[in-house]
Amino acid sequence: MSEFFTQAVLIAAVASGIRLAVPLLLASLGETYGQRSGVLNLGVDGIMLLGAFGGYYTVLKTDNVWLGLAMGIGVGVILGLVSAVISVTLKAEQGISGIGIYLFGLGMSDLLFQKLVGTPLPVGSFPKLDIPGLSDIPILGEMLFRHSIIVYVAFGLVPISMYIINRTTFGMNIRAVGENPEAADSLGVSVVRIRYLTVTIGGMMAGIAGAALAIDLGIFQQNLTNAQGFIAIALVYFGAWRPAGVMAGSLLYGFVNSVVLQFKTLGIIPRSWSDIAAMAPAIITILALVLVARRFRQPAALTKPFTRGT
Amino acid sequence: MKKRHVTWLALVLALMMVLVACGDSTDGTTAGTDAPDETTAPDETTAPDETTAPDDTAPSTDTTAASAEPFRIAIVAPSASNDLAFTQSIVDAVNVIKSEMGNVEVAVTDGTFIVEDAAAAIRGYASEGYDLVIAHGSQYGGSLQEIAPDFPDVSFAWGTAADTFGLDNVYSYEAASDEGGYVMGVMAAALSETGTIGIVGPIEVGDAKLYVDGFEAGAKAQDPGANVNINYTGSFSDVALASEAAQAHAAAGADVMSGTAQMVVGAVGVADEVGALWFGTQANQTSLAPSIVVASQVYHWEVILREIIANLNSGTMGGEIYTINLANGGEVIEFNPGYSLPDEVRQLADAAIAGIIDGSVSTGQ
Amino acid sequence: MLEMRGITKRFPGVLANHRVDFTVNAGEVHTLLGENGAGKSTLMKILYGLYQADEGEIFLSGERVEIHSPTDAIAHNIGMIHQHFMLVETLTVAENVALGLPSNRGLRTDLDAVSERIEELAGRYGLAIDPGAVVWQLAVGQRQRVEIIKALYRDAQLLILDEPTAVLTPQEVDQLFVTLRQMTDDGRGLIFISHKLHEVLALSDRITVLRQGTITGQVPVEGATRESLALMMVGRQVKLAPDKPPVEIGEVALEIRGLSVMGDRGDKAVRGLNLEVHAGEILGIAGVSGNGQREMAQAIAGLRQATAGSIRIGGVETTNHTPADVRKNGLAYVTEGRLRDGAIADFSVSENILLIDHTDKRYLKRGLLDFKAIKEHSLRLVDEYAVKTPTIDTPAKNLSGGNIQKMILAREMSGTPTVLVASQPTRGVDIGAAEYIHKRLVQQRAENTAIMMISEDLDEVFALSDRIAVIYEGQIIGIVDRQTATREQIGLMMAGVRPE
Ligand SMILES: Nc1ncnc2c1ncn2[C@@H]1O[C@H](COP(=O)(O)OP(=O)(O)OP(=O)(O)O)[C@@H](O)[C@H]1O
Ligand SMILES: [Mg+2]
Repeated sequence: MSEFFTQAVLIAAVASGIRLAVPLLLASLGETYGQRSGVLNLGVDGIMLLGAFGGYYTVLKTDNVWLGLAMGIGVGVILGLVSAVISVTLKAEQGISGIGIYLFGLGMSDLLFQKLVGTPLPVGSFPKLDIPGLSDIPILGEMLFRHSIIVYVAFGLVPISMYIINRTTFGMNIRAVGENPEAADSLGVSVVRIRYLTVTIGGMMAGIAGAALAIDLGIFQQNLTNAQGFIAIALVYFGAWRPAGVMAGSLLYGFVNSVVLQFKTLGIIPRSWSDIAAMAPAIITILALVLVARRFRQPAALTKPFTRGT
Repeated sequence: MKKRHVTWLALVLALMMVLVACGDSTDGTTAGTDAPDETTAPDETTAPDETTAPDDTAPSTDTTAASAEPFRIAIVAPSASNDLAFTQSIVDAVNVIKSEMGNVEVAVTDGTFIVEDAAAAIRGYASEGYDLVIAHGSQYGGSLQEIAPDFPDVSFAWGTAADTFGLDNVYSYEAASDEGGYVMGVMAAALSETGTIGIVGPIEVGDAKLYVDGFEAGAKAQDPGANVNINYTGSFSDVALASEAAQAHAAAGADVMSGTAQMVVGAVGVADEVGALWFGTQANQTSLAPSIVVASQVYHWEVILREIIANLNSGTMGGEIYTINLANGGEVIEFNPGYSLPDEVRQLADAAIAGIIDGSVSTGQ
Repeated sequence: MLEMRGITKRFPGVLANHRVDFTVNAGEVHTLLGENGAGKSTLMKILYGLYQADEGEIFLSGERVEIHSPTDAIAHNIGMIHQHFMLVETLTVAENVALGLPSNRGLRTDLDAVSERIEELAGRYGLAIDPGAVVWQLAVGQRQRVEIIKALYRDAQLLILDEPTAVLTPQEVDQLFVTLRQMTDDGRGLIFISHKLHEVLALSDRITVLRQGTITGQVPVEGATRESLALMMVGRQVKLAPDKPPVEIGEVALEIRGLSVMGDRGDKAVRGLNLEVHAGEILGIAGVSGNGQREMAQAIAGLRQATAGSIRIGGVETTNHTPADVRKNGLAYVTEGRLRDGAIADFSVSENILLIDHTDKRYLKRGLLDFKAIKEHSLRLVDEYAVKTPTIDTPAKNLSGGNIQKMILAREMSGTPTVLVASQPTRGVDIGAAEYIHKRLVQQRAENTAIMMISEDLDEVFALSDRIAVIYEGQIIGIVDRQTATREQIGLMMAGVRPE
């Protein structure tokens, strides 16, 4: 146990937890917008996968990670719009239609990978940015302020999302539409427009999450996300539909994973236990979900399509 | 009512796309180190009627007359055909057989990490009358045990495993991956300056366990004081987690790493980034990080496939268990020419290989 | 200021409005009167852009206008108070008011400025409200104020009020009327809908009666009486108070001892309440809403946890039993929240009627639901209770507000329960139906059911009760015999003054 408390290992555990949290955080923040407005998009993982492939392939061809990120955004926006058409305009059952998007993303990303790339080749990752001043703080600096740029972007989006949701008219409209679309509609708020925007934002963030994952790993593989998109959806519930809560959930998931990894590496968790320990993040997150999320009510109109009388 | 329609429409569309993707993806198996010829696979249920016959009429070799029907081999495997790991090893091997024999027709269904999908594919190929259906995944055993008795005229090969269920149309095959692992471990301990070595594994079973245990034994044999950290992430597919496991090894001081199964593709990159050396297994992983991959243990299943096919031609449909190892040439240590391995380490490796082959060295298994 | 001409609106199987002409002048209150399902809400929703008329035209100040959405209506300074609250419960009062309006700070909200203006309006129109309060914390009367402020904030010159008083206490209604009068003094035009005839007489300048989608009459308020209005609405004489033959009072059927129940906000809504209801009597529970009536009724029905005390139905202990179990012991419960906990909006009328009866042997045939029997049963009840619905397979949410209430009553009152708890049984129900419901309650009483009737309508309490209990802050502060009770006495008790 004492090995764990060496400085190097502690720093590595925290830094690793943060890295693991980033794709989840990006995707779940995006999904928060949609769910806050009453739309559940179960297709997050599919969008992440296509964003991941798009980002990876762009970097492979151009050697420019920013173009890769832009591709992730583009793919995410398009698939977000498709999701919006299906759930908002066509009013499909949200519990099912998202799975369609997921299967599409899963199959399509693999197909494109096989056709266009084949054997996985490594690509460059996002540049690391040591925040001047802060990164020199002993221990803390190394844990928190020596990450690749996308990490800061992801965490920077948390206060921005809080501000948007809580302090802007757009955010107020999102909350109203997710809670009581009839009331919002009766005051001239366009339920359809708000939901298109939030679902597209959700798609965009899922695309970024996927691209960030692939580019940071520097590689692509079939089913690269390994269902992280679904975990991200669970984290939205865990985070009680609040950006800060979603961040807490993502970090919890990331940290439990990283601590388990460190424990395994150091032999603190015996090898015979490692398969069981691998379930720890999921179990702990589910437990926390049950304990925390119970106290909050979900947006009242979540998964309910809106139709005005005719 | 209308809502339902739309939902189903969306689902069906998506499923169609996925099926198209699955069906096509096997086309992509043309990638890979050995650049095999085209292979086409049926989707799981329908007949592989559009399977392309080899148009590059390779010089037909000794076996059954070239004018005769082609010999038909089908592969069902869990990950991608070009995963630089487990699945690729069998696809490459079958393609070697094909170029040797010439008149061979190959079909691949890959990515069937869901066992039910694999079972459907296995049954599909069997009912299509393939001569040899390879179920490449220990998790497919249960399905195979049910399917094989229904097709007495079809021969099945199942790996990696050491059990034919007492059925006379099932072969099984495995790799003595501990042998290559041992050789790698010897080199790793010799190369490590910190004395700490990190290994990333998926789940502690089968091929992965053999490799990791052999590796550890080799490292300890070379340097009894070596610190071998082993991290089974619990997943065959979580690339991000395997990468972070490599990071954890680096933090614990490892300067030499290895890993097994397809999710290590990202871990290789981490090793590169932190300046550690890497040993690969199951396929040649040099392309993932050309400057730090020292060597890879590569499987040449064609060694045993040749024997299986010879058996089939003489009328034996199964019942035997095969193992590839260093001795029979099914396992080969491929060194990365781009990495300048010190001569004395190379000599240690050669000595270990020779010792394992002549039995003077035990891998502990 | 407003003229609607020849408005026709059809729904599947229903002609909701047929060539309706309707006008409103500046500064007047024009009341729309009509039975449940007559088409009042429909006409108003057309005016507010929620529905599109099949035929007809709308003129504002002489100019023809197209109103395709609430946005259009708001742009034309039309405001609407809906029959069911249109508030976002998780938002604050200020946010609810600001919704849909541009902010003077660009993308940022300007809630402090909105709050200031709300306070100003509230001061001017006597609508005291805290702009920072979250709506779910507000009592019903306060919510209604928010709705009115929403309209005033948008400077509604023409305000539609669809049954704004249905959920208010008499005091709140008086307050509301003061505000409304002030609004007409400003020159605004109001459209008022209510089933309470004394309110209509008190507030209106003109009254228009709708029947089955068609206008059947229009009168100035001068000279109109409750009886004459009732006649116009229903087409026959309506008895405003039922005949009540004497019945022998029986055993105690419902016994409540020391009952304590928590409210939604964790407050003590019912505190050590004692009460007995005898077979064959109607016990009226009078009281200002929010004094624990709802929580008490829910605790009796097993829908809310009792934290202390006991409840016995027909001598059997049922405290904190499951709702199904309580029902089995002979309780029937008519809830006050209609679409929220009384009915399932997406289920059909006949499914809603069957809700409690799905294990009843009458509707089972070899263990399976006997659809023919169910259909007959539903048809009979729909007919008896005059539930106006195109078919019994129509989803409940498409019914008019009052008809949903009648559907629930039909379900709960169709058997012969030991105890019937009826909460606001005629709220939102037209007078014809109210007459029928009252008749049924009296019949149930004759069949020896113990009836607890919770009502804020003193007329109703006096018309039906044998005894009147007054609930105040979660306790019964007094029980009086109907024969000796006076309105003043009950009114004082409702305000918390204990009788000597
Ligand atoms: N969206 C709808 N779809 C189908 N039918 C509807 C719809 N809205 C109303 N109706 C029908 O139109 C008729 C008129 O309903 P409306 O709500 O206008 O009645 P109302 O006069 O407001 O009654 P109440 O006093 O009960 O509120 C009813 O028969 C109702 O069932
Ligand atoms: Mg109405």
